[in-house]
Amino acid sequence: MISELLKGLQTTGRYLFRQPVTVQYPEVKRPVRERFRGRHELKRFANGLERCIGCSLCAAACPADAILVVPAENDPEHPTSPGERYAKIYEINMLRCIFCGYCEDACPTNAIVLEHQYELSFYSRWDAVYPKERLIVPPDQGYGEVPPVLKELGNKSPSPPAQMDL
Amino acid sequence: MAEDITLIIDGVKLTVPEGTNVVDAARTVGIEIPVFCYHPRLRSVGMCRMCMVAVGIPRIDRDTGQCLLENNRPVISMFPRLQTACTTLVSPGMVVMTSTDEVKRAQRGILEFLLTSHPLDCPVCDKGGECPLQNLTMGWGPGTSRFEYHNKMHFEKPVPLGDLILLDRERCILCGRCVRFQDELADDPVLGFDLRGRDWHIISKSDPPFDSKFSGNTTDICPVGALTTTDFRFRSRVWELRSVPSLCIHCPVGCNVNLDMRHREVMRVMPRENLAVNDIWICDKGRFGQHFVESSERLTTPLMRRGDQLVQVSWEQAFETIAERFVAIQRKHGGTALAGIAGERLSNEDLYLFQRLFREVFGSNNLDHRIGTPGDLPDDDIGVMLGVGSGTSLVTLGKGTTVLVIGANPEEEAPVYLLHLHQMVKHGGELVVANVRPTKLDHSATLSLRYRPGTATQLVRGLLRVVLEEAGTKHLSQKTTGLAELRAALNHPMASVVSATGVSEDDIRAAAHTFLQAENAVIIYGAEAMAEGTALSQDLGSLALIAGKTGKANNGLLALLPWGNSRGVLDMGVRPDRGPGYAPLASAAKEREGAGGRKAAEGAVQRGLSAREMWNGVVEGRIRGMYLMGIDPASAYPATRTALEKVDFLVVQDMFLTPTAQMADVVLPAAAFAEREGTYTNAERRVQRVRPARPAPGDCRPDWAMVQGIAEAVLALLKGTDEEQGTAKEPRKKLKGKKREAPGGAETATESPGPSWGYLTASEVASEIAERVPGYQGIAYTRLANAASRGGWGRQPNESFYYGGTCYRNSEGVGIQYPAPAELSGAGFSLKPREVETTSASGGDTRYPFLVVTQRLLYDGDPFLRDSQLLAHVPAPYVAINPSDARSLGVQAGDRVRVASVAGVLELAARVSDEVPAGCVLIPSNLPGAPLSMVQTGLQTRVAVSKVGGRRE
Repeated sequence: MISELLKGLQTTGRYLFRQPVTVQYPEVKRPVRERFRGRHELKRFANGLERCIGCSLCAAACPADAILVVPAENDPEHPTSPGERYAKIYEINMLRCIFCGYCEDACPTNAIVLEHQYELSFYSRWDAVYPKERLIVPPDQGYGEVPPVLKELGNKSPSPPAQMDL
Repeated sequence: MAEDITLIIDGVKLTVPEGTNVVDAARTVGIEIPVFCYHPRLRSVGMCRMCMVAVGIPRIDRDTGQCLLENNRPVISMFPRLQTACTTLVSPGMVVMTSTDEVKRAQRGILEFLLTSHPLDCPVCDKGGECPLQNLTMGWGPGTSRFEYHNKMHFEKPVPLGDLILLDRERCILCGRCVRFQDELADDPVLGFDLRGRDWHIISKSDPPFDSKFSGNTTDICPVGALTTTDFRFRSRVWELRSVPSLCIHCPVGCNVNLDMRHREVMRVMPRENLAVNDIWICDKGRFGQHFVESSERLTTPLMRRGDQLVQVSWEQAFETIAERFVAIQRKHGGTALAGIAGERLSNEDLYLFQRLFREVFGSNNLDHRIGTPGDLPDDDIGVMLGVGSGTSLVTLGKGTTVLVIGANPEEEAPVYLLHLHQMVKHGGELVVANVRPTKLDHSATLSLRYRPGTATQLVRGLLRVVLEEAGTKHLSQKTTGLAELRAALNHPMASVVSATGVSEDDIRAAAHTFLQAENAVIIYGAEAMAEGTALSQDLGSLALIAGKTGKANNGLLALLPWGNSRGVLDMGVRPDRGPGYAPLASAAKEREGAGGRKAAEGAVQRGLSAREMWNGVVEGRIRGMYLMGIDPASAYPATRTALEKVDFLVVQDMFLTPTAQMADVVLPAAAFAEREGTYTNAERRVQRVRPARPAPGDCRPDWAMVQGIAEAVLALLKGTDEEQGTAKEPRKKLKGKKREAPGGAETATESPGPSWGYLTASEVASEIAERVPGYQGIAYTRLANAASRGGWGRQPNESFYYGGTCYRNSEGVGIQYPAPAELSGAGFSLKPREVETTSASGGDTRYPFLVVTQRLLYDGDPFLRDSQLLAHVPAPYVAINPSDARSLGVQAGDRVRVASVAGVLELAARVSDEVPAGCVLIPSNLPGAPLSMVQTGLQTRVAVSKVGGRRE
């Protein structure tokens, strides 16, 4: 009987001296995979203009109907985005979003990218609706890289057109 | 008659009428030939080369003239090159191939060329999602391009073509649909091509640019996103829109529209196909003038006067107060001390209940729909008695038709009819236009008559005389009386007609002749004709009767009444002298009693007061309480302000806090047409339905529901006091249950509960209208919804891209045209001419030398235009003067002039125009800040004109 007990404790003893598997979240955060789909970010161009042109294709592609885009015409003197059109209102309801990434796929300007932020908890339902101000990256943080999925595709033509006339 | 022609397209044998082109023929058997420049409503030009097909015809033996046969089949000789299908008319035995390799290669080539310089900006383009270029590229395009991506032409964009339409030159494929629409259909040749080669582009040739009332239609038919409206620009993507079938209520045409909604907002207004009404077009007022619905100035709660202020109250409080005050007035002064006016853009349901409230509950016939200005047009009854027959469709008229337009300017009064009339002339019809002054319709008229102001009746009598001379009474098929009186009235020498009207005898004879000889004939008369008095419409009716142009489809009278439901107002009996369905008051009251209503009070059978008499009645103390529904007399006729201030109790029901509402004791907030159910009756007596597209703001209720709320509160109050006093002579069970009128309504009033109030939906009101209003039998909502059109030109419904990608589908009902009395057997008509009303008392007065010709403008001081971009098109108040008169007055264009009559004075800017006859001044009737009613003394007003002050900037 004792031999069985010791045999069992052997496994315990072995793990006692190994590195723990548990990560002390939130003090310690595990890195996510390159292709992890976390919270969306709206990217900018290098000159600070928003990449989003308010075309609503993300909203059309969204299977969960989580995105609302209300477009408007750019002021030619102080444009918000290149071209004639920009998103006056851009909202994503994080409670509806299923993080499928179709919006990213549909975006013709690579404006919306599912980044690696995954801490999405809210005190109220309204907090779950992220307006454009919370989604867009600050101008000084540079412009969005081409999403990793597209990088992997290499020279093959990506699903958003590489060229656009705005 | 067009013969039928049999041909073979892609191996399918089909038979189509002669004159059909190959594109349309292929469509009838479901073969799609891609097109850009071709549009079934426009002339084929073959500009885009997209519809290339291989065509062959049977080889003919020159000796015998017979088809050569080989193995018993005709030998087909193919054309050496591909042909454009839209310009190729079918011929017997023709063989068409639409999908050979050669054809496909040509189609791919054309698309590749079209896309060489087309920008890749579909994500920002308003047409994206309903774009024929996108669709055809997906369906027929090559997929790749051999052209350099960066070698595209770039232009400045967008270029405004007018203030409503923007042009994106980069996207334009130069199909010319917009140019052809403006030239051929709208008869406003304001667009054109400029330069050549790669610089070739569309320009506006007019000043102000794109000066057309139909400009919005060009954006519908544009096959790319080159033309967009400023109204819809970047507001939404088309796939996000939800189309709600509705109607335009601005004018009597009653165009079918779709309100394209995104959530609760109206994003755009699109035409909805209805071959009997508007085809696939709408005017700019219908398209851009519906923003009042979303105005931030809408009323949202009932308001009640407390001291000097209007404060918010609950519905119960509002109804109770109204009931108490109205009942108190009724008790003290009788029901005839109450009066009501209802607007002409309310639905039939509202109007029906409104008159029921007054006639049945208050026992008063003091009802009207006019404001009571001296220039109010007389009620048009002939227009319904002898109205155009059911089944009439102006869209389909052509050869063999004569349309006589008299005293009307369809461009301003009923714009879409202008398109139809123009199209009719193109199809070989005859258009006789008789007017005081030139209108746009003269361009397309086959005969234009210019009569002197005030002589239209004499002109029509001249026509009648010729018709009687030529045909006698052999065409007279209806039962009539008064022929002898008519003959007596016509007993002048023709020369006197000629000298009075200024129209030559040849022209009168020619007009009468074409009218008489036509297979179908329609008489359209408008505001200027109605201003000549009822004698003219009576004579127009006689003309139609004697020429035998009544009681059948595409024949009869068509009155251009002022607003969207002006016909419904008359049908529902919101007038002092007739009940619903034009029934005389006594018989209407009897019918109500028969149907179980209360015994009619004395006031219910006597003719009530018209609006004009009401205002006097208030001043004299005969009218104590008024109920104004959807009408704003204080701004349209400022003279009513004293009466409105004096009246003891004033209830105003409106969408906005109008000047009238500001004077009210209780203001009730009404839902707009887009927020409710309802039916409207157009000029051709077609009853059509609107549906709710958005929730009403705040506490707004549909008008009929508010009328019902008042009626129920009044009845509850009456019942309560009757029980208290124990004087109830007849039990009033009206409020109990929602039982409809018992079958065999002859039961005595004391037994039957009668038609109760307590309607839950507008549909229930409509069912009661269908039961009780003569003419409306069977027009229930279910039937209105079923009457869907199959669509024209042999196409299937919802083949939207055929017309350019935009949704015109009508699956929600085309309405029901109820028959005119002339179509029913047993109707009798009087030919007896009426006394010609002489011009106003000061006719020969030298102090007032000018006769006022009033003109209705489409873009006028209409409160429904608020928040619309069309406000920029509303002219500042003006008076137009003939150049010779202007010279003698020393007036130049732009001067301020005083226009004075016996009644009052207006100060207006002068315009000098040779379109105005000498001795007349032309004043638009309702421009903001200068209501013509201030100077009017009657239907015809004489004024003095003098220059004031300096030249205006």
